[in-house]
Amino acid sequence: MIKVNGEDFPWEEGLTVKKLLEKKGYTFPTIVVLINGLSVPENEYVSTIIPDGADVKAIHLVAGG
Amino acid sequence: MKRLAQKVEFCTACQLCEDLCSKTYFKEENREKSSIRIEIGEKGGSSIIACTQCGVCMEICPAQAIYQDKNGIIRIKKELCVGCFACVGFCPEGAMFQHHEYLEPFKCVACGICTKQCPTGAIFIEEVS
Amino acid sequence: MSVEKLKEKHRLLAQFQYIPGKVEKGYANRTLYVNLSENRIAEKPVSQEMKEKFIGGRGFGLKLLWDGVTGNTKWDDPENEIIIAPGPIAGITQYPGAGKSYVVSLSPLTHTVIDSNVGGYFGSLLKFSGFDALEIQGKAEQDVIVFIDGVNGTVAIEEASQAVVNSHILVEQLTEMYAANEEDKVNVSVVSTGAAAEHTLIGMLNFSFYDKRRKAVRIKQAGRGGIGTVFRNKKIKALVVRGPRIKGDLNHPADKTLLDKAGIKLHKEIATLDNSQNKMRIGGTTYLTKIMNDYDILPVNNFKFGSHPAANNIASDAFIKYFNLTGHDGCWYGCTLSCAKAINAFELKTGPYKGQKVLVDGPEYETVAGVGSVCGIFDPEYIIENNFYCDTYGIDTISFGTIMAFLMECYENGIINKEITGGLELNFGNGEAAMEVLHQMARGEGFGKIAGLGVRRLKKLFVEEYGADPAFLEDIGMEVKGLEYSIYLPKESLAQQGGYGLTNKGPQHDEAWLIFMDMVNNQIPTFEDKAEALHYFPMFRTWFSLNGLCKLPWNDIVPANNRTTAEPAKIPEHVQNYVDLFNGVTGMNITKEDLITQSERVYNFQRVFNLRMGFGTREHDQVPYRSMGPVTVEEYESRQERYDKQLKEKVGFDPEGKTTEEKIAVLRKYREDQYQKLCDAVYKRRGWTENAVPKLETLERLGMDFPEVVEVVKKYL
Repeated sequence: MIKVNGEDFPWEEGLTVKKLLEKKGYTFPTIVVLINGLSVPENEYVSTIIPDGADVKAIHLVAGG
Repeated sequence: MKRLAQKVEFCTACQLCEDLCSKTYFKEENREKSSIRIEIGEKGGSSIIACTQCGVCMEICPAQAIYQDKNGIIRIKKELCVGCFACVGFCPEGAMFQHHEYLEPFKCVACGICTKQCPTGAIFIEEVS
Repeated sequence: MSVEKLKEKHRLLAQFQYIPGKVEKGYANRTLYVNLSENRIAEKPVSQEMKEKFIGGRGFGLKLLWDGVTGNTKWDDPENEIIIAPGPIAGITQYPGAGKSYVVSLSPLTHTVIDSNVGGYFGSLLKFSGFDALEIQGKAEQDVIVFIDGVNGTVAIEEASQAVVNSHILVEQLTEMYAANEEDKVNVSVVSTGAAAEHTLIGMLNFSFYDKRRKAVRIKQAGRGGIGTVFRNKKIKALVVRGPRIKGDLNHPADKTLLDKAGIKLHKEIATLDNSQNKMRIGGTTYLTKIMNDYDILPVNNFKFGSHPAANNIASDAFIKYFNLTGHDGCWYGCTLSCAKAINAFELKTGPYKGQKVLVDGPEYETVAGVGSVCGIFDPEYIIENNFYCDTYGIDTISFGTIMAFLMECYENGIINKEITGGLELNFGNGEAAMEVLHQMARGEGFGKIAGLGVRRLKKLFVEEYGADPAFLEDIGMEVKGLEYSIYLPKESLAQQGGYGLTNKGPQHDEAWLIFMDMVNNQIPTFEDKAEALHYFPMFRTWFSLNGLCKLPWNDIVPANNRTTAEPAKIPEHVQNYVDLFNGVTGMNITKEDLITQSERVYNFQRVFNLRMGFGTREHDQVPYRSMGPVTVEEYESRQERYDKQLKEKVGFDPEGKTTEEKIAVLRKYREDQYQKLCDAVYKRRGWTENAVPKLETLERLGMDFPEVVEVVKKYL
C-alpha cells in the first residue's frame, strides 16, 4: 500500500510514476510528483519505480477558469 | 532578399559591430542600444545575435506595426507600435531588442554598416531566395 | 440604412466639453458622471483617499454606487447606476491581460451589488480619454447612445431610436460611425447588449474592440448578474468611446522599466511554455473541458454528474477545428496568452440570421460547458450557434446554461410539461428546444420570457403555480444569492463549495477555484487550511478587479521552476510581477502582503454593501445540496463506490445492506454539517462574526470604518 495525496492506494511490483498517474486518471499536463518528499522530473516518470509504502504527492497546478 | 549572416568561428568578440550599430541608429556607443549583440560564452567562444528576418514578430504584433519590405527586411512602423514588446519575448533568435529609453523595440535591418568594418569577416550581408 | 444616414438620425440631447488631460501614474484623477433622466453630464474628482482605499476598477465602482444609491434602491429604479472602471494598471501594453474593465451595478438577479469583468478596449480607452470610471445614473426617455470623444474632449448623449439593438450588427455600425477613418477604428470601443436583455433578467454587456487582422469588430462579455438588463432598462443602446492612439506610456507610469521587465519575462514564458502547458494560444480556455471531464467535475445534466462519455465531442480539438487563429488573439494589446479565439464565417442554422455567415467570438470553456454539457448537449455546432446568439442578444451564457439545465431536470421530473413550455420538449440533450427558448428570450415571448427570470424566481413560480415540491427545487436549483452557478462541479470539494457559497456576489468562480488543491491534491485537509485558502485566494483574485487585470496570465501559464517554489499554487514569481506592475505604474512601494490588504478593504466593503441592501449574512451563503452531494438515487448510484467508501471511512457508517435513500440521508447530514463548519472557519479567518458580518475591529484594522459603513454593520452586531 502507498499513499497518494494522503489517501491509501494499492501498490504493485514495478509501479512507475507514469503507471500510477494513468491508474489515478491524472491527465493534467503539469503535475508535480514527489516521492517521499523528493521531486521526480517529468522525463523520469516512465523509469521511476515507486517503492511499497511510499508517500506520493501528485500536485496538480491548476487553479481553474 | 538580404540578411545579415555570420561565420561565428571568425568572431573575435571585439564588439566593434555593436558600437557601430548603436552609433548609427542612436547616436551613441552603447551596446544596450545595438541591434547586433555579441554574447561571450563562459568558455570564451562567442555568439552573434542578429535578426534573421524570419518574421515571427510580424505574426505576433497586436498592432500590425511590423511588416516585411520589398527587399525582405522586417521593419517596424514606429507610429503604429504600441510598445508591448511581445515581439521581444517571442523572437526565436532573441534578436528583437528593447531599451527603457524608447517606447518601441529595434532590430537589425541588414543595412550592412557593421559588416563593412568587421575585421575578420565574421559578419556579412548575404542574399537568400 | 447607411451609416451616414443613421448618424444624421442621432439627435443631440446633451453635450459636455472637457480638457482631455493626461493620465498620471495610472490615474486620470477624475470620473465621468452621466445622468440620463436629467440629460446632465459632469466630472467628479478622484480623491487621494478614494485611491488609497478603493484602488480603482471594482473598488471605484462600489464606492460610486454606494454614494449613488440607498439601502432601498431597486435595480430598476432610476437611481441605480452602471459603473465601468478599468483600474490603475489597466491600459499598460507591456504585460499580458492588462485591458480589463469592471462593471458594477445593482443586479436584477440578486437585488444587491454585482460586479462583472470584461475584456475589450473600452476601459483603457475611457481612462486615456481622461476618466477613471464612467458612472451612469437615471433613465432615458428614448433610446440613447453616450459618446465619449477623448480626442476632442466632448461627451454627448444622443437619441438613437433607430439604431438596432443586437450587438453583432450594432458594434460594427457604431465603430464605423464614430471612427474618424479606417485607421482610427482600433481607437473606438462600444458597449452594447441585445434584444433579450430587455425581456430577461440575465442580460449582459458586450465590450468591443476592432480586430485589425480580421477587419472585424470583436466582442467580449461582462456576463454575470444581469447588468445588460439594467442597461436596457435605462434605455441605453450603446456607450461609445473614442480614445487616443495607444502607446506604451499613456499611463505615465512612475517606473516603466518595471513594466518592461515583467512583461518581456512573461512573453518569453508564454512563448516557450504555453505549448507544453495549457496551449491557450491554440485553443483558448477550451482546454479545460477535457480536464474537468477526466476528473469528474465537468457539470453534466444540471450538475448531477461530473463527466460524460460524449464529452470528447466538445473537447478543445472539436473547437480548434473551427478556430481561425492569428498570432495575436488577445482582447487587449500585448496579451500574448491570446485566449480570445474566434470562428470566421460560421453559417447559422436557426433564428433571425439563419443562413448568414457570421463571426463568432469564442466559445470559451464556460460557454462550452454552460450551454453544452450541463444541458446534456455535446454538439460543437450547437454550442457555437448558441454562443453567437447569446452574445448578440445580450445573454449571459453561464446563466442561460444553468437555467436551461434546471428547466430540463424539472421537465424530466414532470414539474413542468409541454403545456407549460408551449410545446417544447425540454429533455436533457435537446439543443433544438434550448435554442428556441433563446430565440423566445430575444422576442420576449412564450416560455423563453419565463425562463429569463432565472433559477431563483423559477423555483418560486413552479412551487406557486404548478405545485412543485419546494424542497426538491431548492436542492436542484443551482443558484446562490439569486445568481446562477458558473460551470464547475463542486460536489467533491468542500473548499470549492465554499468558493461558490461564501462569495460576495454569488457563485462565480472568479473568487476562488480550489477544486484541485482540495479534492485532488488534498493540500488543504483541515478546516483551517480551507479557510486560509478561502481567505487568500479570494483576496488575491479580487486584486485583479481593482487594477484592471485578467486572472489568466497569473496561473494559466507558470514559470518552469514554479514547481520547486514553496507555494506553487500561488505562483510566487507572478505575484511578484503584479507587485512590480503596481509599483511601476503608481510609484508606490507595496509588498505582496499589502496587495492582500488592498483587496480586503474592498472585499469587506462589498460585504457591508450587501448588508446594506438586506443581504450578506450567513443565510445568504447557503448553497443548494446539489452542489454538496448526491440529491437523487440516480446520482448516488452513479458513484456508489465513492460514496459508500466515504460513508465507511469518513462518516463511520456501514453502508452494507442499507438502501440508497438511507445512505443519501446519512451522507447529506455529514456533508451539510461539514459545510457549516467550513462557514465558521472561513468567517473567523476573514474577521467576521458567525453571522458573516465584518467585525468592527476588522473594519478598523483595514481603515474602512467610515461612519456610514459602521452604521450598517452595527445593526447586525
